[in-house]
Amino acid sequence: MISLTNVTKRYAAITALDDVSLEVSRGELYGLLGPNGAGKTTLMSLLVGHKHPDAGTITIGGVPMTSRNLDLRGEIGYVPQQIALYDELNAQENLSIFGSYYSLSGSLLRARIDEALEAVQLGDRRKDKVKAYSGGMKRRLNLAAALLHHPKVLLCDEPTVGVDPQSRNAIFDFLESLNAAGMTVVYTTHYMEEVERLCSRIGIIDHGRMIAEGTLNELLRLLPYEETISMRRNDATEANRSAFERFGVIREVNDAFELRPGKNVKMSDVIAAVEDWGIEYADIEWRKPTLEAVFLYKTGRSMRD
Amino acid sequence: MKKILILLRAHLTVFAADRVAVLLTFVIPVIMISLFGAIFGGSGRSQSSGIPLAFLNLSDAPVSRSIEGILDTLRTFRLIRTMKDENGKQVVFDTSSIQEFVKSGDAPAALVIPADAYTDTSIGFKICFYYDPRNEIEMQIVQGMLQKTIMEQIPQVFMESLNRRAKKALGPELSTAFNADIRKSVRQYFPGTTFDADTVRDGTGGMKPGDTSALAGADSSSVANGMGKMFREIVDFRSTQLVGAEIANPNATRSVGGWAMMFLLFTLSGVANALIDERRNAVFMRMLAAPFSRAHILASRYVFGTVLGTIQLVVMFIMGMLLFNVDILSNAGNLLLVIILSAAAATGFGMLIAAFSRTMAQASALGMLLILAMSAVGGAWFPTSIMPPYIQVLSKFSLVYWSISGFLSVLWAGATFVEILPILGVLTGIAAVVIGVSLWKFSRTNIL
Ligand SMILES: Nc1ncnc2c1ncn2[C@@H]1O[C@H](COP(=O)(O)OP(=O)(O)OP(=O)(O)O)[C@@H](O)[C@H]1O
Ligand SMILES: [Mg+2]
Repeated sequence: MISLTNVTKRYAAITALDDVSLEVSRGELYGLLGPNGAGKTTLMSLLVGHKHPDAGTITIGGVPMTSRNLDLRGEIGYVPQQIALYDELNAQENLSIFGSYYSLSGSLLRARIDEALEAVQLGDRRKDKVKAYSGGMKRRLNLAAALLHHPKVLLCDEPTVGVDPQSRNAIFDFLESLNAAGMTVVYTTHYMEEVERLCSRIGIIDHGRMIAEGTLNELLRLLPYEETISMRRNDATEANRSAFERFGVIREVNDAFELRPGKNVKMSDVIAAVEDWGIEYADIEWRKPTLEAVFLYKTGRSMRD
Repeated sequence: MKKILILLRAHLTVFAADRVAVLLTFVIPVIMISLFGAIFGGSGRSQSSGIPLAFLNLSDAPVSRSIEGILDTLRTFRLIRTMKDENGKQVVFDTSSIQEFVKSGDAPAALVIPADAYTDTSIGFKICFYYDPRNEIEMQIVQGMLQKTIMEQIPQVFMESLNRRAKKALGPELSTAFNADIRKSVRQYFPGTTFDADTVRDGTGGMKPGDTSALAGADSSSVANGMGKMFREIVDFRSTQLVGAEIANPNATRSVGGWAMMFLLFTLSGVANALIDERRNAVFMRMLAAPFSRAHILASRYVFGTVLGTIQLVVMFIMGMLLFNVDILSNAGNLLLVIILSAAAATGFGMLIAAFSRTMAQASALGMLLILAMSAVGGAWFPTSIMPPYIQVLSKFSLVYWSISGFLSVLWAGATFVEILPILGVLTGIAAVVIGVSLWKFSRTNIL
């Protein structure tokens, strides 16, 4: 559905996207994960046609994205990273302007506005001016505004910044239902949990380069270990620290040791050792690896740096 | 086209939501025209308090007294005859204290009719005018008005004195015969000429301009020159009057076009700011993501600016009618055409500014330059006819010049559609060129 081939985009000295290739299939919920300045917004603005690549090609539904291709834009919904609403108008007036951009009018427009407001749980605030909204409410309306014309492709650029967990879940449920109904979604974020929860496929982007791509499991399998065993630092664990090194790599993290067992280590051996050395189960935490670890492994940096 | 209308409706909705902006759109033209009208005395109803003029009459000739009487009745001047001395007592001026009075800035000018202003042997009439060249422009107005007043009042004085001189030189019989001969030859060469009574309607020959001098050393010969020119200007002035004779408020009618354009040019920088503001606004990204081309967006903004400018100009002219009796109804259709095309061209300049500036600050600086240059050169402040020839050539490149010409033709001369067609053509041409350049720039910079 969406295809980028060897796309490069520069701003003067900065290369915001460096030879990026990407395929998003129809009906996929694709997550683009990357830290600040990774190039996520740049990629989105190329997809939506605001900007044009310096090299490479972009097609949506097999049609090249050019500034002249206005019909193609009618198929795309775009949720900008910044709140893009008229402060002085209420929710309903905002949505009717944005709906009219896509030639919606009359009862169809009204129905779509009702539906969108319902989906982001703003139905009861529809007559309030946007300037009287909280940050999270603005975010939700910002998302609703992109859905009125039932686009085939939805591009969401960090749509949940500042949204409380409850509303975030409501947005996720909504996006999932849209996706289930056949909408292709590209979702950018710098929260790993979001793509882990939401996305069927994930691309990790850093400094304009696609550093890893695949399903969550595929990405986790890139790591040389499958889980992390964290042991609280105390007499028993201190004493056996070097003994654990035969199972894998030990790292000291604050008041704990982290053991990352090597690929061939049997978990039952580790458990047996823990019991033998009299370490309390309460002091041990077994953790599945995260995308954070993948990012760290690939870049040598933490996402949050 | 439909897309432009969609965007236009969106602009209007957003604009209408800003109640203050809407109010200002209508209130500002009203304030502006009231202000302009009050300043330039365009009002037929309100009266200015008059320019203070220190005055001393030392002559007891009847002419001098009649001039004093006339100056007294004129609303243009407020005669001051006394000043406070060091004891705080009001004392009458003398020839030196009246000059001190002007020097100390208590009055911009003084007029003294000396004791020998008019004697049986003099041909002309002598007055002394003192002024502070610090107020050069004001002084030119004052002098002009003084000269006009005096000249208008005393032609019979000259005639009288000429007659008297002739009588003296020729003797009473010869002089009557001379006058009769002159009448006869005038009739011979200008058949149909009539003479009232026995007065010879003569020109200004032999007129002595009187004695004027500037306190701070201004060149008095130029004043004398001006005096000589004055009579010609009076004649000129009268012939101008013939054209607009039936106009209710000539002053306001003549100036309203200039005021309107000045005002419109300021709204033009509003257009520029709106465009720049919009492209920094995140909502603009939605517009760009929607199925609109750059041309749709610019066109909708352009039409919006033109509609707003037209409404404002119409409000302004309506206020001109209500406050200053400017007759806008008898040629309303043509007036509206000039208004719309002027608004369209001004909006074009707004887009030009937006195209060439990246920030609001740049836009205001550019806008200011364009507004001031075009207004000054185009005749919004002073008529272009008093400008140096090369500036007058430049004027033709100013939108203001053509709009003012349009307004004057329509309001003053009551021009027909065919007559204003060339002006409408030029306005359209200006709009087209300016929009063309803006579009070219917009497409090059990629900022939109
Ligand atoms: N208009 C611009 N002019 C110059 N440089 C830009 C511009 N927009 C982005 N950049 C640069 O391009 C790089 C990528 O920016 P981009 O906005 O795409 O990052 P992002 O992944 O969206 O970051 P964030 O998570 O902070 O939104 C950054 O280094 C940024 O400084
Ligand atoms: Mg971004």
